Amino acid sequence: MPPFDFVTPSSVDAAIAELRTGAPGEVTVLAGGTDVMFDLDGGKSAPRRVVSLRRLPWRTVDWNGPVLTVGSTLPLRSLERDPELPRQHPGLLQAIRAVGSVQLRHRATLGGNLGRAAPASDLIPVLLALDAEVDVVGPTGARSLSVDQFIRGARSTALASGELIRSVRFPEPRPSAYLWQRVRPANDISQIAVAAAYSPSDHRWRLAVGGIPPRASRVPEAEEMLGTAAPTEAATRAAAERAARHLTIVTDRRASEEYRRHLVETLVERAVRAVMVSRPELR
Amino acid sequence: MTPTSLALTVNGKPRAVEDVPASERLLDTVRWRLGLKGTKEGCRSGDCGACTVLVDGVSMLSCLTLTHEVEGTSLTTIEGMADDPVGREVQNAFERAGALQCGYCTPGFVVALAGLLRERGRSATVDELLSDLGGNLCRCTGYLSIARAVALLRPEAP
Amino acid sequence: MHRLSFDRPRRRAAPSGGPLIASGRPDARTKLDGSAVFGADLDVPGMWWAALVPSPVAHGRLRSVDLSPARALEGVVAIGAADLAALLPGATGDPDRPIFPTDTVVYRNQPVAAVAAPTRELARRAARAVRVEVDPLPVISDLEQVFPDWPGSNAESSPYVAAHVRAREGDLDAIFQGAETVVRETYRTSSVHQVALEPHACLAEVKDGKWRVRTCTQTPFGTREDVASLLGVPEESVVVEGTWVGGGFGGKGAALLEPYALLLAKATGRPVRLALGYREEFLLGRTTLPSVIRMETAVTGGRIVGRRVRLLLDVGTSLPGRDFATGYSIGFLLGPYRTPAFEVEGYAVRTNKPAFGPHRAPFAPQCVFVLESHLDHVAREAGLDPLEFRAAHLWKEGDTTPLGQAVGPFGLVTAFELARATAAQWRADAGPDSGVGVAVGFWSTGTGAGGEVRLRLSPTDLTVVQGEREIGSGSVLAGIASVAARSLELPRERVSVAYEDTSSAPFDSGVFGSRTTAALGRAVQAASLTLLEEIGKRLGGSGPVHLAVRAGEIVAEQGSTRRPIRELCSDSERSAGGIVASGRHYGTSGTIDERKVEAGTFYPYTDFTGAAHAAQVTVDRATGTVRVTRYAAFHDVGTVIDPMTAPAQVEGGIVMGLGTALTEEALWSEDGRLLNAGLLDYRIPTLGEVPPIQVTFVEGFAGAGPFGAKGLGEPPMIPVPAAVALAVRDATGAHVTELPLSSERVARALKLL
Repeated sequence: MPPFDFVTPSSVDAAIAELRTGAPGEVTVLAGGTDVMFDLDGGKSAPRRVVSLRRLPWRTVDWNGPVLTVGSTLPLRSLERDPELPRQHPGLLQAIRAVGSVQLRHRATLGGNLGRAAPASDLIPVLLALDAEVDVVGPTGARSLSVDQFIRGARSTALASGELIRSVRFPEPRPSAYLWQRVRPANDISQIAVAAAYSPSDHRWRLAVGGIPPRASRVPEAEEMLGTAAPTEAATRAAAERAARHLTIVTDRRASEEYRRHLVETLVERAVRAVMVSRPELR
Repeated sequence: MTPTSLALTVNGKPRAVEDVPASERLLDTVRWRLGLKGTKEGCRSGDCGACTVLVDGVSMLSCLTLTHEVEGTSLTTIEGMADDPVGREVQNAFERAGALQCGYCTPGFVVALAGLLRERGRSATVDELLSDLGGNLCRCTGYLSIARAVALLRPEAP
Repeated sequence: MHRLSFDRPRRRAAPSGGPLIASGRPDARTKLDGSAVFGADLDVPGMWWAALVPSPVAHGRLRSVDLSPARALEGVVAIGAADLAALLPGATGDPDRPIFPTDTVVYRNQPVAAVAAPTRELARRAARAVRVEVDPLPVISDLEQVFPDWPGSNAESSPYVAAHVRAREGDLDAIFQGAETVVRETYRTSSVHQVALEPHACLAEVKDGKWRVRTCTQTPFGTREDVASLLGVPEESVVVEGTWVGGGFGGKGAALLEPYALLLAKATGRPVRLALGYREEFLLGRTTLPSVIRMETAVTGGRIVGRRVRLLLDVGTSLPGRDFATGYSIGFLLGPYRTPAFEVEGYAVRTNKPAFGPHRAPFAPQCVFVLESHLDHVAREAGLDPLEFRAAHLWKEGDTTPLGQAVGPFGLVTAFELARATAAQWRADAGPDSGVGVAVGFWSTGTGAGGEVRLRLSPTDLTVVQGEREIGSGSVLAGIASVAARSLELPRERVSVAYEDTSSAPFDSGVFGSRTTAALGRAVQAASLTLLEEIGKRLGGSGPVHLAVRAGEIVAEQGSTRRPIRELCSDSERSAGGIVASGRHYGTSGTIDERKVEAGTFYPYTDFTGAAHAAQVTVDRATGTVRVTRYAAFHDVGTVIDPMTAPAQVEGGIVMGLGTALTEEALWSEDGRLLNAGLLDYRIPTLGEVPPIQVTFVEGFAGAGPFGAKGLGEPPMIPVPAAVALAVRDATGAHVTELPLSSERVARALKLL
C-alpha cells in the first residue's frame, strides 16, 4: 500500500480544511476505520492522506425530548448500551447488534456506516424506517438531509467535497423491529433484512428492505397497504407480498432471487407483527 | 503530519514506538515492533477475534486498527492479563474448565472476555457474556468448554 | 518375561464427566499467557520475509516469469524455475511435483516463483512486481464438466481420471430385477476447508549443510520426507522442528511452504519466514472437494439384497496414482451395513483446483450423510421403519465387511441403541417444527502407520521422548502421558511428554488418522516392557517388576526387593537424565479380499470404531433455517484414555461437523477461482450456534490401541451432517440431497420457492 499521511485534527474546522487539501480519492476520512481498512488493504483506495476524526467532539448521545441525536463518531457499542435505547428505538438496537461483533462495534460508528453506504449495511434499513436525518457540516456550512436522500446508491452518498457527517437525528421514538436472514446468527452479513416501524405521530408504517444491492429502500406501496394503526393479517400478508414483488432482486452467491423474494415476504410479515406485539395499542 | 514517534502505554509500561508508517496495523506493531507475539494474526479481516487487544480497557480488533489511531492510549495484550485481577480470573477459569485445545484463539478469547467483564460489570449473565463473545471464533473446542469457563466466572448469575 | 497388567474394561456406557473435569492440560498455562510460540510467531534476528508469486489463471501455458522487476527493488531476492539448478546442484526433485512449473500451470494461485526481502511490505511489493505471462487454456472447474453423466467404459484412461476403483460381488442386475423395491438417488456434496485458525507459517535456514525449517506441522517426519523428495536432497540433510500448531485437521500434514522458504533461505543466506495470509490459506488449501454420488438399493422382505454405489470425486490436481481418497472413502458408502451383493465404482476426477487433501475424517462425513440419508429414504419408500431397517443390518463383531474383512470388537450396536433411546425421549417432548435424527458412522484407528518413542526414567520422573508436537487434541501431551502412567503404574503428575526435532527424535508417522494415542501408545507400551526388563536385570532377581513412588522418589520392586531408581542408574545415565528404553509400534492393518476388487486400491481397516449420534433440530418452516437444539453422541472408544481431553474431542468434532452440515461451502467460479476465500463468506460455526451436547462413551469393545483404546480424533465429526439431515426430515419431511443444508436448500426441499 503506498504510504500516506495521517492527521488527527482537533477541531471541526481543521478537519474540514484537511479534506480540501487533496483531489477526490486522495483524502480518506477515518471514523472507526473498520471499513476503511478493507479498502486500504485491497488496494481499492490509495489515499495520500487519512484524516482521523477521533479528536472531534462527536462521540455523543443526546436525548432531547423525543429527539435522539447521535454523534457520528460515537462507537456503536456505546449507543448499544445506552439504557434508553431498548424502550425508545428497539429496532435500532436490534440492528446495531447485527453489526459484526462487540470488538467491531467498539470502533464502528453510525457516521462510518452511513458514509460507506454498503448495500448490505445493517443500519441503513432502520435509519430509513425511523426517518433519520443526517446532519452534515462542510466548507459552506451545515445542512441536513434524510437518510434516503443521503444514500444515493451502492457506496455512493450525497456528501459533497469537504463535507463530514456530524450527527444522525431520530425525530421520534417508534415501535420498531429489525429482522434479518443470514447464514449464521453472529458475525455475518444479511441476505435479506427488513426494518419495520410505526410512527405514533402520523400513524403510518415504514418498511425498509435491506440486503439487496444497490441500497436499502423503503417500499411505499407496501406501507400504504398497512394503513394507519394495526393492519389485519390479510393486509399484512398483502403488503408483504407486494414488497416481495416490487423490489429488483438478482441472484448472487449468497442467495437466489426467488429465495430472496420469499424472504422479503416472510420477514416483512414478521417484522410488522413484531412491532405490533411490542405495542399493545397497535393490536 | 504523521508523527514519527508514538507514545503508548503497553501492559502498564510506557513505550515509545519510532517510525511507524501511518498504514501500519496495531496488530503488526504489537507483534513485530513491541515483540509481543501472544496476540495472534488470524484472518486479518476482522472476522475471527484472534487479534483482540484492549485499548483503554476496551476490546478491539487490532488487525483493523491503525496504530496511529491509538496514540497516547493504554494498550493491554494477553501478556498483560496476568497483571490484572480480572485477567487472572479469566485465565484461571479457562484452565480449570480446560477451555482450550490448540490455543490459537485463546489469547483473543481471554482478552475479549476480560474486557467484557469490566465493561458489563458483575450483573451480566452467562448468556449475555457468551452472546457478546460471538466475534471470537474457535475451531477446536466447539465452544462448550469456553462456555463452562464463562459459567465459572458467573456462578451467581447463570 | 514381563507382562503389563491392565484392566480389560468391562462393557459399559457412561456419560462423560460433569461440567468441570479436573484440569490436566500441561499446555494450558503457556497458551493462556501468550508465551506459546506458533509458526507465525517465529522471529529471529536478521530474518527476512518471503512471499509467493501466484499464477493468475487456473490453467495455462506458462510463457514467461520475469523476475527482473522484483530484483530491481533494492534488497529483494527472487527465485524461479531457472534458479533451481544452482540452488540444488545435482539434485533431482520429484518430476511429478516440480517446485515451480516450467510448462503449464494447473490451478489458480499455483506458486510460479518466490521472493524474499528484509521487510514484509517489500516482499509483498516484489511478489506483485513479478511479471507472469500465461496463455490461458480451458479451465475444468467442476467434475460435471468432465462427466456430465456417469463415465462410460474406458473412462479410466481419460487424462482427467486420477484414480478408478471398482469392486463387486453378486449379479446386481438380476438382484435388482427381482427385488420388491429399488430406490435410486443422486446426492451432491460441497467442498469444505479445514479452517484451522492458524494459517501455515514457517521459518527456514540453511546452515552447516542442513536444510533446517521450523514449521507448524502435524507430521515433522512426514514433512521432512516430503521436503527431501521435493528438493531432491537426502532426508538426513533436512531437519524439521515443529512449533505449537494452531489446529491441523489434516491441512498441515504435508509440506506446503517449507520448500520455498528453504530455497529462499539458501538463496539469501538468511533465515527466511514464509507465512500465508488467511485468504491464501483458502486459495492454496488442499482439502475436501465436491462430489456427486449415486446410490441404488434393492430391498426385499425388509432386507437389503443389493446395493450399487457410484462416486465421482473432484480431486483437483491430484496426481494419477497418488489418490487414496476414492478407494478409502467408498468404504463409508457401504459400511457399517451388511450387504450381500454390491457394486461400487469410484472415479477421482481431476479439475483445475489445488489437489484434494485430507480433512478431519477425510470425506467420511459427506459419505455418511449420503448413506444414512439414502437408507432412511429407502426404508420410507419400502414402507419400513427407518431406524429398524438400519438396525437390522448394522455390523456386529464377527460379521464380514463387503470387502471380506472380519469385523473385530465393535460397539456400534450398543451405541446405536443408546442413541435411538435418546431420540425417542426427545421426540416425545418435541414441538411442532422439531425433529430428531439418528445417524451412525464408523472409523478405523490409524495404527496402520508406525512410530517409536523413548522412555527416560529419572529418579523422580518419567519422560516420554518423541517427535510430535501437540496440535490441540491432547493426544500427545495427555494421551501418551496417560498410557505411560498406566503402563508403568506411575501417577500422571510424574509423567511428561517431551518433543525433539527430526534430528534426534525417534521416528513417528504423524498426528493424523486418529492414530496418535493408539500408535504411539503402543510404542509406549513396548518401551515400558523393555524398560521393566532392563530394570529387572539390574535388580538381579526374577519375577515381575513394578514401579512405585516411595518417599518422593521412584522405586523399583521385584518380589521383596526394592531399590530406588536413583541407585539403579549408572553415573552416565544420571547425567543424561535417567534410564532410557525404546519401543516401537509397527504399523499393522487387516486385509481385504482382493478377489472382489476389479480395479484400483481399497483399504482395510485396523479396527472398527463406532459412533452413533442423535440430533434435535427446529426448522423455521418459512425460511428453511435449521437450528440444532440438542445433540447427543455415543462413541465406541474401547477405553477412555484421558477423561478430560476425550469429551473435548467429541464436542469439538461435533461442532466442526455442524459447519459441514449447515453452513460451510467453498464456491468455485467457472474460471477456477475460489469465490469465498475468507472467514466472512466461508462460515464456520460461532459460539451462538452450538447446542448442548451430551457425550457418552461405550467402553469394552477393544480396538487397536493400548488397553483396547480406539482413536477419537475423527469419529465425532463423521455422523454429524447425517444426524442433522435426518432430523430435518423428521421435523418437516424435507429430503435434502445436497450438503450443506443451507436454509435455501431446505426451503426448496420444503417446496417454498
